[in-house]
Amino acid sequence: MSHEPEVPRKRYELEDTGFDEVPRKYRKYYRRWGGESDELAGNEVLCPVCKVVVRSNREVREGDRIYCMACMTRLRVVRVDGRLEGHVEY
Amino acid sequence: MTDFLKGYDIQYWLESAPQGYLMETEYGHGEKEREPELVLEDPTLREQAIRTTVQLVVGERCALAASSGLINAAPDEASKRFLATQTLDEARHVEVFTHRLYDLGVKKSELESVISQFANPHLVHFAEALLEKVDQKDFIAGVVGQNVILEGMAFNVFEMMHAGNKEANPKFGHTLAGTIADERRHVGFGENRIGGLIREHPERKGDIEKLQREMSYHMLATFGDSFRNGPSPEQVGQIMREHGQEPQASEQEWQGVKLGQANPEELEAVLSDTILKEFKIRLERIGIEYQTPTAP
Repeated sequence: MSHEPEVPRKRYELEDTGFDEVPRKYRKYYRRWGGESDELAGNEVLCPVCKVVVRSNREVREGDRIYCMACMTRLRVVRVDGRLEGHVEY
Repeated sequence: MTDFLKGYDIQYWLESAPQGYLMETEYGHGEKEREPELVLEDPTLREQAIRTTVQLVVGERCALAASSGLINAAPDEASKRFLATQTLDEARHVEVFTHRLYDLGVKKSELESVISQFANPHLVHFAEALLEKVDQKDFIAGVVGQNVILEGMAFNVFEMMHAGNKEANPKFGHTLAGTIADERRHVGFGENRIGGLIREHPERKGDIEKLQREMSYHMLATFGDSFRNGPSPEQVGQIMREHGQEPQASEQEWQGVKLGQANPEELEAVLSDTILKEFKIRLERIGIEYQTPTAP
């Protein structure tokens, strides 16, 4: 945790995956979740409220705050059992 | 906070729903999509489709009455505007599922009698209990009942129905996909508003847990009845053979269960497990302890 911020974050090129449930300019930041077997990339976090995958154009790290526009939920990224998850902030 | 509440804007709703996933749909589906011939021709499958759709109409009529009733009980402008968009979403759901009943051959003059005949009594009890809270202008109880219990549980049901229909009945699958997209906003609103309000009013926690115990019984009983009334995969296979079609084992999976091959008991078990599991996690996030439902 203490050394993590020193490593530059990997950048990602986002493409539109056909997710059409948010305004057009934000669509590339989301994709549909494929169920339990769907492996998330380093720039992706699953929204626990509506089960949509939120995507960033840079690597996601513990402590980051992200926003799920599909259900309007604010999430904080936490590490659980070595895996990154989005926890809801009310 | 400002950006977060912008999600409740009418403009956001316009760009997401009518200008997004509802573009080029007609009553929720593609203009040329039709119910499968087999469903229209076979009396058992047709009645099952009508029975299922009636529960959707009854649930959505309840949500329409609740969301519109809660607008004037909402404590802030952003929530009022969000509930106005939800009201239109629910009215659209009532319309598209009612239209499906017409597509299944229900005559307009028979609509209310068909709904009365097939409406699940537990779902009717749920609606009565929820609308009583709405009539009392109890915003917290109303949002918990509608956006957390009704929509939270229905979200999983719609997902399972969508997985089972997207290949077998693309028309109905398309209608369900649009409904699920709407539900994402509704459950998000429920969780976020109630999660915040419980932190502001911890004294309401006990009331809400009591409400959850009473209301979730009726929802779970409705789902159980729906599966027990459904035909088994063997019956569906037999019907298909009678109509000269060779049944093909569907590989569509939901929560690890092959939907076209599972019997009603298996479907009921997986749905109850999923609903309850997801529902408990949802309540826990909000700060409510799940209460095992008791029969009233």
